[in-house]
Amino acid sequence: MSRRIEQIVVVGADAPAWMAAAALHSSLGGAGIRVRVIELPTLLQPVDAYSALPELGGFLYRIGLEEQLLFNICKAVPIAGQRFSNWSGAAPPFLHGYDRPPPPGAGLGFTQLWIKGRQKGLRTAFENFFLGAMAAKAGRVPVAVQGDELRATFGYNIDASAYSALLRHFTVQGGVESKAARVADVETDGDRITAIVLDDGERVEADLFVDASGPQTVLIGRMPGAEFESWRQWLPCDRMLVASGKALRPLPGFSQISAFRQGWLGLFPLQDRTAVTAVYDSGEISDKNMLDNLSTLANLPIGGDAVVSSLCQGARRRTWVGNCVAIGESAFSLEPLDAVQLHIAHFCISQLMTLFPVEAGAFPEAELYDRIIRRAAINLRDFQAAHYKLNRRFDMPLWDRCRDAALPETLQRKLDNFTARGRIPLNDDETFEEQAWESLLIGHGVMPQSYDPRVDALPEQDHIALTQARLNDIVGLVDGMASVDEFIAGADSQSQKEAEAFG
Amino acid sequence: MQQVRDIVIVGGGTAGWMAAAAFAKVLGTQTHSITLIESDEIGTVGVGEATIPPIMQFNALLGIDEDEFVRETNATFKLGIEFIDWRKPGSSYFHPFGTFGANITGGVGFMNYWLRWVQSGGDPDFTRFIAEGQAAREGRFARVPAPQDGQLPRLNYAYQFDAAAYAAYLRRFSERRGVTRSEGRVVDVEQNTETGYIEAVKLADGTRVAGDFFIDCSGFRALLIEGVFKAGFDDWSHWLPNNRAAAVPCERVEDPTPFTRSTARESGWQWRIPLQHRTGNGYVFSDSYISEDEASRLLLDRLDGRPLADPKILRFTAGKRRRGWVKNCLAVGLSSGFLEPLESTSIHLIQVAIMKLFELFPLREINPILIDQYNRETDALYDHVRDFIIAHYKVTDRDDTPYWHYCRNMTIPDSLAAKLELFRERGEPRTSPSELFRETSWFAVLYGQGLIPRSYHPVANALSEDELQLALASIRTAIRHRVDSLPSHADFLERCCSARPTATAA
Repeated sequence: MSRRIEQIVVVGADAPAWMAAAALHSSLGGAGIRVRVIELPTLLQPVDAYSALPELGGFLYRIGLEEQLLFNICKAVPIAGQRFSNWSGAAPPFLHGYDRPPPPGAGLGFTQLWIKGRQKGLRTAFENFFLGAMAAKAGRVPVAVQGDELRATFGYNIDASAYSALLRHFTVQGGVESKAARVADVETDGDRITAIVLDDGERVEADLFVDASGPQTVLIGRMPGAEFESWRQWLPCDRMLVASGKALRPLPGFSQISAFRQGWLGLFPLQDRTAVTAVYDSGEISDKNMLDNLSTLANLPIGGDAVVSSLCQGARRRTWVGNCVAIGESAFSLEPLDAVQLHIAHFCISQLMTLFPVEAGAFPEAELYDRIIRRAAINLRDFQAAHYKLNRRFDMPLWDRCRDAALPETLQRKLDNFTARGRIPLNDDETFEEQAWESLLIGHGVMPQSYDPRVDALPEQDHIALTQARLNDIVGLVDGMASVDEFIAGADSQSQKEAEAFG
Repeated sequence: MQQVRDIVIVGGGTAGWMAAAAFAKVLGTQTHSITLIESDEIGTVGVGEATIPPIMQFNALLGIDEDEFVRETNATFKLGIEFIDWRKPGSSYFHPFGTFGANITGGVGFMNYWLRWVQSGGDPDFTRFIAEGQAAREGRFARVPAPQDGQLPRLNYAYQFDAAAYAAYLRRFSERRGVTRSEGRVVDVEQNTETGYIEAVKLADGTRVAGDFFIDCSGFRALLIEGVFKAGFDDWSHWLPNNRAAAVPCERVEDPTPFTRSTARESGWQWRIPLQHRTGNGYVFSDSYISEDEASRLLLDRLDGRPLADPKILRFTAGKRRRGWVKNCLAVGLSSGFLEPLESTSIHLIQVAIMKLFELFPLREINPILIDQYNRETDALYDHVRDFIIAHYKVTDRDDTPYWHYCRNMTIPDSLAAKLELFRERGEPRTSPSELFRETSWFAVLYGQGLIPRSYHPVANALSEDELQLALASIRTAIRHRVDSLPSHADFLERCCSARPTATAA
C-alpha cells in the first residue's frame, strides 16, 4: 500500500547539499515533509570560489534568502558576462554577456540583421550589440533602467566556503535537522535503499534519499544501472589547480577565461581576492610545472595556497534509481567553465521539485527525471565542448586534438545549422538559449553563410539606422549603470541589518 | 546552383494561397518571381475551417487588418472547442485557448491546487476557472487589452472562417503584390539529370513553368513530393482509423457560438463550425465501421438547420509525409500529411511549414543540413499533435460500439503512453516549449476524457485550507468580472466586423 513521502534524507556537503535541503524544506516543509541532512566532510578549500549564472538570484529568492547577503558575507561580485581570450590565435577576445531574450513575438532576432550587415561590410563586433556584454566590458552592473528589447542581468562570483556556510546556517535555522557524519554502508533491497549506516553506527531510513555528495556519488554510485559515462573525448582536461591572487581594482564586470598551451585559465574576481583556476591536461603539463607557470599565465602574483584536484567530466547513466535521486555533480559533472557548477545542482533540484514524488511507492517520475537531466547535461556538455572544438591554436597537441575530434551529433547539428543559416536549433532543456550560443559560436569565429530572407524586407537605410540606434541605446543604458564597486557598496549598506542577524 | 529566384507553387487552395501571400509579402516580387499554378477543374478541400490562436501571427506577418479579415471570410471568433459525448454519452467538456486558473504562490501549477480542491469535494467543472471557457459557455466575446496589472485574465482566441473565402482573399492579396496565377493542370515534370532537382513543370496546354524552388500544395495528390520524389508516407491509421469525412453546410439558425463543437458519434465524430452566414458540419469516420451513405444520412439527420448542399465525401489516410522537404521541393498542406481536424491544426501546420521555410529558405544553394533540420523539426511537431489527437480516442469510457471498442483498446505510441501514465499518477501533463499543445490543453482534454489523476503535487498541500479557498475565490471573481464585462459574441460581431451582404453572396 503506497503512502505519501514523509522523510527525505539529503547526503552531501557544501552548497549543493544545502541548496537541496533548503529548497525541499521551504516548499514541502509546510506539507509536513521532513528533511534531514547527513553532512559529509567538506570538499572545499579556502581558495575555492563558485562562479554562478544569473538564475541563482531566482533560486535564493524562492527559498527566501536575501541576495544582498552574497555581497555582504560571501565576498560576491556581480558578473555580467564571461570574457574569452587566446582561444583563437590573433582573434580578439569576446564576451558572452547575460542578455535576456527579447520578449516573445518580437520578430526576427537582431543576429539575423547582424549577419547581413557583416556581409555588407559592417565591422562592429557582435558583442557590441548586446547589453550584457557591453556592461561587463565597462565594469558595470546591468540593473535598473533597461530597454524593452535590450535587457541584461548578472551572475555572481562567490566565495564557496562562505556561501556554503551561509546556506547551512539559513537551512538549519529554518528547522532542517542535520548531522555531520560519514556513510559507512548503504543497505539496499533490489534497486531501493532501505537504510544508510553512518560511521557512528546510526542507521538512517527515509522514503527518499538525495545524493548531493558530488563526484563521490556516495549513494547513486552504488545503484544498479547508474554507471559513469566519461565525456573526456570532448572535454580533455583532467586536472584542476585552484589558487588565489590579490583582488583586482577596480573590480571588473566579467570573469576572464584564457586558453593556454595545455588548457585554460580562469580569473574570477571576488571582493577580497581573485580566484585563479587552471584546468589542464596532465599528459601535457605536470602539476608542478603548472603551479610554477601560474603567476606568469595569470599575470598576477599567486598566493601559496594552491590546491590541485582531478576532474572527471561525464554523467551517470541513471540519475534516479529506486528511491535515490542524484543532484548536482553526483548526477553529472563538467568543467568550472561558463559558470555552470552551481547551476548543475540548481537545475537538478528544480527538476526534483517539479517532479517531487506524490507517493513513496513506484516513483513513476524517475524515468522522466532521468531523461530531462540527461538532456540538460548533454546540452551543457556541448556548450563547453564547443570552446575546445572551435579553438584556433595550431601546432599545440592538446588543441590540435580537440579541433580534430569528432563531435557529438547534437553539437555537430548546432554547428552545421549555425554555419549554414545563423540559426541555433535548441533542444529541450537547454540552459543556454540562442543568444548565448550565438555569442559563443561567433566569438570563436564561426560566421554564418546566410541569413533569414525576411531581413531583406528591411530597406538598407533602415537597416543601418536600426543597427546604429541599437549601438547608441546600449551606450546610453550602460552609462546609466552603477560600476561593480558602486553596486557592491550599495548592496552592502542595504544588507547590513540582515547580515547582523547571521552574525 | 544560382540564387533562388523563381518560386513555383503547384496548387491553390488554402495552402497554396497562404504560401503565395507570405512569399509575396516577405520576399516580394521584385527580386523573386512567384507563380501559382492551379486548375479550376480540380476542387479544393477547404470547408468551414476552425483555427487556433497562432493564426494571428500569420495574419500579422501579412499585415492584414483583423476586422477586414473577419468581414471578408465571414469569420466568427473562437474561444475553444466543446467536446460532447466523448468521455461517454451525456458528458461534455471544454478545451479552451488560454490558461487554467492563475498562479498561486508556492511554485507548482494551478491544476495541482485545483485537484486538491476537487479531491476534497470541490466542483470538478474546471471551466469555471478558465475565462475563455466561461465566456464561451455564456456566448460572450470581445477583444480585451492585455491586462497591465495582471488582475483580470486575458482572453485568447482564434477564428472560424470560410476557408474558400480566405483563399480567395489571399489570392487578391497576392495578385495585387505581383504573384502570377497560371491556370492549368500539371501533366509533366522536368528534372535535372544530374541533381534530380525539378527544373520545370508542364501544364496540360503545353505551357512550361520553370523555377528554382517548388512548393507542392497539390493536396492529397502530392504531385511533386510523392509523384516525383517518392518521399514516403508514415501511415498512422492504426492510431487514427478515421479515413472519411462527410461535409455539408447548413443554414444558420441561431447566433453563432464563439466556439467549435465536436460531438462523438457511433463511428467517429461530428463537427459544427458556426460562421457568420452559415454553419459548417461534417462527420469524420472510419469506413470500416460505417458506410459513406450511412454517415451522410446520419449527418443530415443531425443538422440544426436546413442543408445548403449535398454532403461531400472526403477520403484520406491519417499520417505524415516522411520527408516534407526534398531537394528543391517543399510540401505544404495536405501533401505533407493529414491529421483530422479534431483540434483545428490543419491551417496551423500550413503556417508552420511556411514560417519554417522562411527561417531556412535558401538564398543561394539549397543546403542539405537545413533540409534535414526542417524535416526533423516538422517530424517533432507532427508527432506531438498526433499524440494529442490520439489521446482523445484512447482515453474514454466509451465502449458502446465496435469503433469505440477498438479505439479504447488500441496500442498507442510510447511517447503518449508515458504521458498518460504520469498524468494518471499525479496530474502532471509535462510538455516542452517546442510542443504546440501545452499544459492547459493536455489537462483539459485528459481530464475531460475521464483520466482523473490519482494525486497531485505535494507542494499544493503546503497551503492552508483557508488560503486555498481564498486564492480560488479570487481567481473565480476575476474571471467573473472579465466575463461580465463582455458583450455577446453576436453583438460584438455586429458592431465590429460583420460581413457586408455582398461578401456573403460571393
